[in-house]
Amino acid sequence: MDFLTGMRVSGSGMTAQRTRMNAISSNIANVNTTRTPEGGAYRKKEVVFGAMPEQRNFGEILAGKVDEDIDRVQVVDVRPDRKGPRLVYDPSHVDANEEGYVAYPDINVMQEMVDMLQASRSYEANVSAMNTMKNMALSAIEIGR
Amino acid sequence: MADIFDTTTKALGASLNYRLLRQNTTSANIANAETPGYKAKVVEFEDALARAVDLDGMNGLTTSSPDHFALGTAALGKERVTVENNPDADVNNDKNTVDMDKEIITMTENSIAYKAALSLINKKMAMLKYGISEGGR
Repeated sequence: MDFLTGMRVSGSGMTAQRTRMNAISSNIANVNTTRTPEGGAYRKKEVVFGAMPEQRNFGEILAGKVDEDIDRVQVVDVRPDRKGPRLVYDPSHVDANEEGYVAYPDINVMQEMVDMLQASRSYEANVSAMNTMKNMALSAIEIGR
Repeated sequence: MADIFDTTTKALGASLNYRLLRQNTTSANIANAETPGYKAKVVEFEDALARAVDLDGMNGLTTSSPDHFALGTAALGKERVTVENNPDADVNNDKNTVDMDKEIITMTENSIAYKAALSLINKKMAMLKYGISEGGR
């Protein structure tokens, strides 16, 4: 248990939120994409978070500090969502099927905006936790000055 | 053996350690605020600290073996503080119990208390230094 544990955990939160932000950016950018390397329309990417026990260094394990369970957050998976494409009738489109329907990604831009705000606020919360920790560590250095 | 640090200084040191644990736990809660199924963790150490500082005036027992339970001031810093899951109800639909406002408040409060303990330690150190330097004259 030291200051670096908390900082690493906050850092993991920042990394996770940034990954989420990248996925959201990708979703917004590809809102009208009808062609992908996998074939078919683009599918909305979803980021899955998981709590993982913070890895301890050898010294801490040796000192018997294994009972302090601090979890960091990790991006477990970035997966396409389960929803199918949104079919729009547009016979003149190059990617229209025989019936004249074009498969567009089913992405709600409003939903993505809300997610983006949430990711941004969570990122800020992690930054503020990290700064608090940093200030505590800096003032601890001053003991006895 | 006489010690140059008194009980107060040691108690303050122990409280710094506990506050650091609480800060780390809060950081973990904030980082996992959107992890499905994550249960917020809380650290309760005030009782343990009060017991260790021997507020009831029952003198501390010294121990001769690490297997003995330390009582009183000998227990300072050795009290086991457990990290427990928050019993509060789920805040979100995803079985996550992290309340972000609560965590921010805990964090701020903890940080202020940490700084207060630090400044008290610094005062103690200043008094000690004063004593050392005046003694030589």
